[in-house]
Amino acid sequence: MSEKLLSVENLTMKFGGLIAIDDLSFSAMKDQITSIIGPNGAGKTTVFNCLTGFYKASSGSMFLNKDNKTLDLKKFSDFKVAQKAGVARTFQNIRLFPQMSVLENMMVAQHNKLMAASGFSLLGLINAPSFLRKEKEAKEISKYWLDIINLTNRADDNAGDLPYGDQRKLEIVRAMCIEPYLLCLDEPAAGLNAKESAELNKLLKFIQKEKKTGILLIEHDMSVVMGISDHVVVLNYGKKIFEGTAQETKKSPEVIEAYLGTEE
Amino acid sequence: MDKNFLQSSLKDSLFTGLIALALFGPIVGLRTVAVNEALVVQPKWLVVALIVAFCAIGRFFINIYSFKKEQRRGEPSSLGKAISNFLDTKGSQIALGAIIFSVIFPFMPFADRYWMDIAIMMMTYIMLGWGLNIVIGLAGLLDLGYVAFYAVGAYSYALFAIHFGWSFWICLPLAGLFAGMFGILLGFPVLRLRGDYLAIVTLAFGEMIRILLLNWYTLTKGPDGLTGIPRPSFFGLPFKRYPDEGVETFHTFFGLEYSPMQRIIFLYYLILVLALITNFFTIKIRRLPVGRAWEALREDEIACKSLGVNPRNTKLTAFAVGAMFGGFAGSFFATRQAFISPESFTFIESAIIVAIVVLGGMGSQTGVVLSTIFLIGLIEVFRDFESYRMVAFGGAMVLIMIFRPKGILAKRKPTITMVKEK
Ligand SMILES: Nc1ncnc2c1ncn2[C@@H]1O[C@H](COP(=O)(O)OP(=O)(O)O)[C@@H](O)[C@H]1O
Ligand SMILES: [Mg+2]
Repeated sequence: MSEKLLSVENLTMKFGGLIAIDDLSFSAMKDQITSIIGPNGAGKTTVFNCLTGFYKASSGSMFLNKDNKTLDLKKFSDFKVAQKAGVARTFQNIRLFPQMSVLENMMVAQHNKLMAASGFSLLGLINAPSFLRKEKEAKEISKYWLDIINLTNRADDNAGDLPYGDQRKLEIVRAMCIEPYLLCLDEPAAGLNAKESAELNKLLKFIQKEKKTGILLIEHDMSVVMGISDHVVVLNYGKKIFEGTAQETKKSPEVIEAYLGTEE
Repeated sequence: MDKNFLQSSLKDSLFTGLIALALFGPIVGLRTVAVNEALVVQPKWLVVALIVAFCAIGRFFINIYSFKKEQRRGEPSSLGKAISNFLDTKGSQIALGAIIFSVIFPFMPFADRYWMDIAIMMMTYIMLGWGLNIVIGLAGLLDLGYVAFYAVGAYSYALFAIHFGWSFWICLPLAGLFAGMFGILLGFPVLRLRGDYLAIVTLAFGEMIRILLLNWYTLTKGPDGLTGIPRPSFFGLPFKRYPDEGVETFHTFFGLEYSPMQRIIFLYYLILVLALITNFFTIKIRRLPVGRAWEALREDEIACKSLGVNPRNTKLTAFAVGAMFGGFAGSFFATRQAFISPESFTFIESAIIVAIVVLGGMGSQTGVVLSTIFLIGLIEVFRDFESYRMVAFGGAMVLIMIFRPKGILAKRKPTITMVKEK
């Protein structure tokens, strides 16, 4: 049994009268892929927005276990969740920097360490060797990830010019550049064809196994969910209606009624 | 040319004529005149008809010759493409050529007082354009109050120089520092604003600074302005025909004949050096992490946050660095004029600088130079037709937007590349 990475306790998020998340508790393990599934509007993206500091949860708590320390994620505001707590995310509608090159996208993701190395730009302005070394390292890290998703040959093209499937993959490896402990992916397989979907599975498996990064996955595509999830949390109208392994989820009558039944 | 296209062009120009009629009909066509102490409407339909015909026919020709079908979606025209291809491939040679030309310019046979003054003015606008390019072109923050930092630089330079008697090279960095601080001061309240809202608040900030300068009489002498700002000296050697007793001047030191052009040429080189510093600094910082973060922020602020980039610090540095260069340019302005008043820092200055940046192609350093030469040159050519200057200015902007909708130079070069260049 691996250790607990994330625990969400009694999380509630209200928008005026609408309760988008209702008293939700679940946990995610280190080195596991945990999927959050549920019909449209169930509150999945809202969970991510609370976790990553884009929304302030109405009540409840979220803890991240990082190097034997427990961090209260509620204490971090938006960019600090990525910078200080090591939680990275992607977006349901891809958010790349479209007019910047693929490589530049990867470099921006390594901003904080490069900024420190550039001595708040002073060392960078004089081309200090220590900065140039760091910059070269960052470029190599970018190349490492681009090699994995077969995009190295397009590194100098604008990210916005890539085909859709490549943009999805680029957004994921860009998030990996911040060396996260927890990677939150919002519907990464949406709009991918079968081949791209299979490549995505491989990439996620690689991140989980080789990088020892916990993955929290929102997904609609059942083949993706069932193929790679270690653990599944099912939401409906902001409430958790089931939690278990992929196999158990498939068989659960509540889930079939609320979700799978209506889909197929 | 196929019939459909001709037809749609014709339709479009008729529509333009209608708009012109609706606009000019009441404004130009109906004129009130006083007859026997009563106001009478005097219609001027012939003038209106001429204007409407001009608009419609003009639009028709623009349609036919510029909006060729394949270009309707904002594709650059073939001439523009050829020019920007040329600039892209020969970029560094052109830049080097331009720098060499600027260096030898004062010794050209035609470079008399008039030409030197224009060159200095253009150089000042180029420097301001490059400074504002950091804020608008790179960080994507539409700042309509940039002239405020120019003013802060000019006034702080003047006050330091007048009251403490410090030399140019001490006052210049101080003025830049002051302007940079004002940049941060403006940055804080507008951190959450974007686009139009940001533009309005920065515009108001520019006016606030001007009104402050106008009313803080004890410090700024209000509308009277500050006089007696020390002229620059050549490393301690003043440019004076009749120096004070025992003081060496520029021309005696170098054993030259005195000429007022010496000071002008010195001022020219001063602004050239300041502008080039701005340029090389921007080119360099764009390739540093902070520069990339500026551009990333322009592209997508939410994505930046998700990657741990601090948007507050990033925006504030953009405002501060941009303002600092505005302040440097302001110092130069103060020492060149020897007299400054709030009148020199009106909104129209901000508007011209923004136009230079936007028309040049957001973020393009060469574009700033080209659009400055074009716009300021145009204003200069129309100097004798005072009332038509702004019409020409506006017309020029419309033309650029028609032929190069993304600015004169729209192509952006990546700040770091995987494949070694060339
Ligand atoms: N910023 C917001 N303001 C108001 N309502 C919101 C906001 N964000 C999400 N919601 C609502 O919360 C519910 C859950 O949305 P979301 O989390 O996006 O669902 P999904 O499971 O499809 O990702 C929806 O009813 C949505 O309208
Ligand atoms: Mg969603």
